[in-house]
This record gives sequence, structure tokens and C-alpha cells, in this order.
Amino acid sequence: MSLDDHTPSVGILANPAAGRDIRRLVAQASVFPIAEKRNMITRLFTSLGALGVATVYMMPDEIGIANRIRHALETPPPAGQTWPEVVFLDMVVEGSAADTLVAVEMMAALGVGGIIVLGGDGTHRLVASRAGDIPLTALSTGTNNVFPAMREATIAGLAAGLVATGQVPGAEVSERNKALRIDVNGVASDLALIDLCTSTALWVGSRALWRADGLDQLFLSFAEADAIGLSSIGGIIRPVARGAKGGLWLNLAEPQAAPMVVTAPLAPGLMVDIGIEAVNDLRPGEAVPLRAARGVVALDGEREIEFSPTDKLAVRLEWDGPLTLDISKVMAYAAEQGLLTRVDETSRHANQQGE
Amino acid sequence: MQLSKDDLLRAYRIMKTVREFEERLHVEFATGEIPGFVHLYAGEEASAAGFCMHLDGRDKIASNHRGHGHSIAKGCDVHAMMAEIYGRETGLCAGKGGSMHIADLSMGMMGANGIVGGGPPLACGAALAAKKLGTGGVALAFFGDGASNQGTVMESLNLATVWNLPCIFVVENNGYAEATSSKYSVSCDDAADRAGAFNMPGVVVDGHDFFAIHEAGGEAVRRAREDSAPTLIEVKTNRYYGHFEGDAQTYRGKDEVKNLRANRDCLDLFRARVTSADLVEDAELDAIDGEAGDLIEDAVIKAKAASRPAASELLTDVYISY
Repeated sequence: MSLDDHTPSVGILANPAAGRDIRRLVAQASVFPIAEKRNMITRLFTSLGALGVATVYMMPDEIGIANRIRHALETPPPAGQTWPEVVFLDMVVEGSAADTLVAVEMMAALGVGGIIVLGGDGTHRLVASRAGDIPLTALSTGTNNVFPAMREATIAGLAAGLVATGQVPGAEVSERNKALRIDVNGVASDLALIDLCTSTALWVGSRALWRADGLDQLFLSFAEADAIGLSSIGGIIRPVARGAKGGLWLNLAEPQAAPMVVTAPLAPGLMVDIGIEAVNDLRPGEAVPLRAARGVVALDGEREIEFSPTDKLAVRLEWDGPLTLDISKVMAYAAEQGLLTRVDETSRHANQQGE
Repeated sequence: MQLSKDDLLRAYRIMKTVREFEERLHVEFATGEIPGFVHLYAGEEASAAGFCMHLDGRDKIASNHRGHGHSIAKGCDVHAMMAEIYGRETGLCAGKGGSMHIADLSMGMMGANGIVGGGPPLACGAALAAKKLGTGGVALAFFGDGASNQGTVMESLNLATVWNLPCIFVVENNGYAEATSSKYSVSCDDAADRAGAFNMPGVVVDGHDFFAIHEAGGEAVRRAREDSAPTLIEVKTNRYYGHFEGDAQTYRGKDEVKNLRANRDCLDLFRARVTSADLVEDAELDAIDGEAGDLIEDAVIKAKAASRPAASELLTDVYISY
């Protein structure tokens, strides 16, 4: 599906598990309750409905967002509002990340004109792996993220709706993102949107990576100087813009044995000394083999892949990541074209006569 | 924190012993020889093992009605536990408590508890004692999703923050409070969300993954021991049997348990990961399987052979004079 094939439907993918991980215990990451995710989604309904989006597809889940939305739909929308029809995808819920992958594939098959994602970097990574060229509206549910932004859902819904209904041409207001691809034993395995880090820790465990000890190599698709998380390490040393052609890769070391040390904000409320051994440019398409024999690979801050000495791993930076809507650009385009403006012809005529 | 090979073998031994204990009770209860109720913990073993491996002799746990796994993981004697469940005088409580009142204060196990939500206030008390006495100990309460809705739990969470208690609250959310789904009955969906209202961190961990529980548990225990600060952890888990033995479980999906056993079993997942990482041999785990089976077999034989408490013991251990 291309950006200019418009259908009046949108997918909303809200990760029920986002905002619950161990960073609430080991750092001071914000808690984002399910009740607030539910509120954000109903605000999305308001703006999508106002723009004429007929159908919203959502992922069912075991934890509660879908339940809360069903509950919200039992009563009519607030006076004066028309919400889209909400359809929960007919899928088996496993209660794992696989649910997100299945849901995105189903949304793509249904021809949605965009997917609004509520979650953190990890949720966006999963959606990106299956979204193809469907434009994503990336909304952060917490303060611990780099890829999605904290935006008001009503405005994000307007932007997604304007593009999905064809009122704003998607190609003019969306951006292609880079992706870090990991090959395991010569086979493309998974991707990260911002950072890919290896650690000598042996287990995926509670997933988040927050300790300095054991960090071995860090690959960054971009690194902003004001970022939180692993990409802040690169951002402090050598910032790389989101739209810059290449990325960075760093060899890390214990701080006491390293020629350079940075104190990086690895999570909200958590500053950690990181030893830097070497900083290199990461060129698109270049495969960089990992040097550790055993450990785990963290994708966008979450440990995902355990590997042993028999595995050969390499990382590539590619310009084949997801398309994301630039919400500000969409709204500026809409303002310029008067898309959200209604003019009363009678009063305009009267005004013109009075001039 | 890295786990040594000894740690891995110990974790497996705890989980396997609990599993054998519960699977055997499922069979034995059906014979009618065991008095009272039993509530089996099979399927949830990674939680008890993952937390209790961080505890030592200074620490106390408060359990609930589903307490066999907690008791074994905290070090209670398996023979004495089995005898207690059979109501024999060799039991941990001289055969007068049964499954729902197993306790061994010498091991820091303050008791299984028939009162839903009864454990967290006890844990607050134990944590306060540890803090006042300067023992360095922590207290941990295991309770379920049903208990997470109880006022006693809310009061305990509040008190733990107000008094900065070295206390860990573990919600073992197995999806059902007796027959009521937590999706229906827990207003905030994730019980961990409630932690924020009491100004303490709340996290969710996968109850099928020993490593995730062990890591989060380690951080919570460290926070309690070093900073005297409480934490709430919600373990998303599943039980393989009914609320109690004899529960027809008409509220569960047809293949729900079958699928859980096939795809999410904490023991199977543990074995697959430690063996594929070449850290432990299958044969070593097989040996533990055999030893755990033998231990439970011996415990059942000895329990059945032991005497019931004498009638003259009826009123002993009932009241304590201070």
C-alpha cells in the first residue's frame, strides 16, 4: 500500500505492558497507567471521528486496554462527537510481543491509512518490523523514550486522520527512519530503531539494560545530545541527527580502564559512568561483526537476544526503517490549506459588502 | 547480577521440588486421605524461587492459602510439610494446622494464611521489627490478585511507605481470584499500578521467566535491605490446577492449561535456556528430577505412616501466654 492510497480507516496499537518494567524500580522512570492510555485512545477517537475516519482497528489484549475501551464504548460519545466504529482484530492473544506483530500484519492487510502507536521505543520497534510503508504516528507513553514523542493525543489523532483521509498528502509530511539490523549466523534476525547494545550479561532477564558493567558495544542510528537512554552516550560525545546519513558505533569498557568516561543518563533519574574505548562512524550498509563471544543483544534498550560462542552476529545500518508522520508538518499544512476551517458564506458576503 | 552454576542448579531444585510436591498432592488428595483443603502452586514455581533465593536467615515471608511453594523455597522441611498436610504429629505444626496454616518461624516462614490479604500486614510488622532491631532483615509478602483488592493490602502499602519499611509486596496474579477473572475484578488492570498511589515503585514481571523474577526480586530486596524502602512487584503467572483441589474450573478456557503447560512452563523454559547456553547439562537436571521425585515419595510414605496427634493435644499450641 502506498501513502497515496487512502482509506478512511486507522489502526491504533497501544502496548498494554509499556511503562511497567524494572526501570520503575532501579531508576525513577515514570509510571503510565492503563487508565491514561485509555483516555488517550478516546481522545484519538474524538479527532479521528471529527475528520471522517470511519473505522479504527485495535488489538485485543489480556491486560486491560481493550477491556477499558469496550467499557468506554458502552456509553455514547460526549455530546456533539462522532466516534469511528471500533473493531477489535479477530486474533488469538498470547499476551506477548508476538501479539503486536500479528496485529500490525492484520492492520496492514486491512489497508489502514496509518497506525497510531502508543508505547515506548520497544513497542515502536515491534510495530516498525511489520508496518512496511504504512505511516506511523508515534506517541510516547512515558518519559523514557527517544523514538516517539510526548504529544497530545487529540492533535496526534488529527494529524493521523488528515493523512488517512487523504486531506494531507502523506508523502509530504512523513519521514523515513533508519534501522539497525542484526544478522545472526548470516540470517537477518531483528531490528532496532535507535540503539543496539551488547552486554556480557547472560540472560534477557527483566529486559531493561541499566547497568554499566558488562556493556560491550553500542550501535546508534542517531544520537541526540538531549536524549535519554543508551543513545545519550553517543549524543554526549558526537551527536548524530535523526536524519543524518550514517550512525555511530562505540566500543565500551570499564570506566577505570577506559581512555574516556562519560556520565550518561541511562534512564530517568539514573546517571551512570560509561567507559569509552573507541568511537566510529557507522556507514549505511556496512556490516560490523560483534566482538563478544557470549552475552545478550539489547534492542532499543531491552535485552532480546541471548547468544553463545557458536553464534556469529553482525550489525548493519539501513535506511529501511518505518515511515513516521511529522505531526507539526501535518498541522501546518492543514492550517495553510484551511482544512480545519469552516467559513460562513453569508457572513463573509456581508463582511465583503461592508468593506 | 550473574548467576553461578550452583545458583542455577539450586533454582531448578527448588522449582522441581515444588512441582513434584504439588503434582503428588493432586494425586493423593483425590484418594480422600488428606483432611481439609489444598490449593496447589504448580505453574507458579519461578516466583517463589526467584524471590526466596535472595533471602537469608534474617528475612521473613508471609504467605497465603497457596503457600506450599513459598514454604519450600524459604527452606521449610519437605517431610514435615507433607506430614502437616496429612495432619500427622510429625508435621511442622504438629499436624494441627494443615495446608493453609503451615508455618515455621525458625525458617522465617510466618505462615500460610487462610485470610485473603492477611499476609501483608504481618510482613509490615516483621519489617518494622527488623528495622527497629537493626537486623538487616527484610520481609516479603506473597499474595494474589484477589488479595490485591483487599483493604488490608492497601493499608499495608500505605504503612510501608509512611514508615519506610524494608518490605516487598509480591502480587502473584494468576488470573483468577477463586473463579473471578482479574480482568473483571482488578480496577486498574495491573495491580502494580496501585504502587504509585502509595509512593513506591511498582513493576510487572513475567511469571514464567525465572530470570526476570530473580533480577527484579534482587533489586527489590537490595532496595529494602540497603535503603529500607518498599517495592510492589506484580508477577503475571498461571496456576495449573483449580483454586482448590476439586474445583471444576468451568471458568477457564478449554485448552488454557494445556497450552500453558506446553508453551509457558517455567521449568521447561528454564531448562531450555540453561542447556542451550551450555551452562548446565541435561543430565544434571535429570538427576535433580530423580532426587526431587524420590524426596516427595519418601515424604508421602513417612507422612502416611506417622501418627495423628493424640486427643490430649487438642488444646495445646492453641493459645500462647505472654
